Amino acid sequence: MKFYSHSFHYDDPWSIVTLAYFLRYPNPYATHIISCDVISRELKPSGSLLTTRLILKKGQLPRWAPKGIISRAESWVIEESEVDPLGKTVRCTTKNLEFTKVMKVEESVFFQKTTEGKTQQTTEARILSGLGWGLTKRIETHGLNRFKAHVQRSREGVSLILSLLRERGLQPMTLNAPSTTLSMLENTTARHENTPRKQNGPWTRLKSWFYPSSSRDD
Amino acid sequence: MADSLSPECTPLKKEYDSCFNAWFEGYLEPAVSISQLPAQQQRQTREEYSRKKAEEFQRKCGKLWEAYRGCVQKALKGKGLDKMLEQSREENAFNSMPPVIQDKAK
Repeated sequence: MKFYSHSFHYDDPWSIVTLAYFLRYPNPYATHIISCDVISRELKPSGSLLTTRLILKKGQLPRWAPKGIISRAESWVIEESEVDPLGKTVRCTTKNLEFTKVMKVEESVFFQKTTEGKTQQTTEARILSGLGWGLTKRIETHGLNRFKAHVQRSREGVSLILSLLRERGLQPMTLNAPSTTLSMLENTTARHENTPRKQNGPWTRLKSWFYPSSSRDD
Repeated sequence: MADSLSPECTPLKKEYDSCFNAWFEGYLEPAVSISQLPAQQQRQTREEYSRKKAEEFQRKCGKLWEAYRGCVQKALKGKGLDKMLEQSREENAFNSMPPVIQDKAK
């Protein structure tokens, strides 16, 4: 088994980072996400929100993987989270539901408010292969390397959503307005259309991700 | 917002997601703070918050959630994914890896 642990800070407050984390699909750094569904959600008497999401991810097999051990390159992943807005923590565990004999990856992410009002993220992963055939170590090492790259991409994805939320925050808004979070994000995006931007700049690319139908040539 | 596993549920999911996200944003920033309260009052504050937020969710997004959930549950059965989920829950009950991250706040 391989174990991995990594910790870092976001400068933004806990509530914003948490919102960004839950809004992170889709984003340009998560092109491997095919679908994402909430299959259960409940508010506990403690005020914590429990959510189970079922996610379909596109996978990539290493070139040296034996043919036939995995029949297709998509796999179902389950994500269980608990958000505690009063204690200012989030705990989120993700694991693959299929091909667990070949490789089981379990990721735990923990967000916590720091004393300076920032947010600390701790990510842990356990990677376990039960395949044998002398491949166990190789698969686990491969899994670990892929996981490290995933942590980096995931962080970039969340940072991107954070920057969108920050931009939106510059506009006057009320929480109880009938408009929804994403339509407010859209307003922000619309505002940017009036500003001259470099073609293919991050905004243009991001915009086409969030609002594929609104990308215009004019 | 990402698509649903079943194309016919995607419009329902987007409606639900929009409603949920707006509710969630407010939920993440409670006006009350419990850090200075004694334990008994903390529990009381938490329970009140939970009731208030559940009621608000029900009023604003309850119908959208039921519609989306109904669609997804049907799709899960149709694709045989309900069995996969059940199996995973059973395996979990017997040999789950213990959590490593300890909640220091509690």
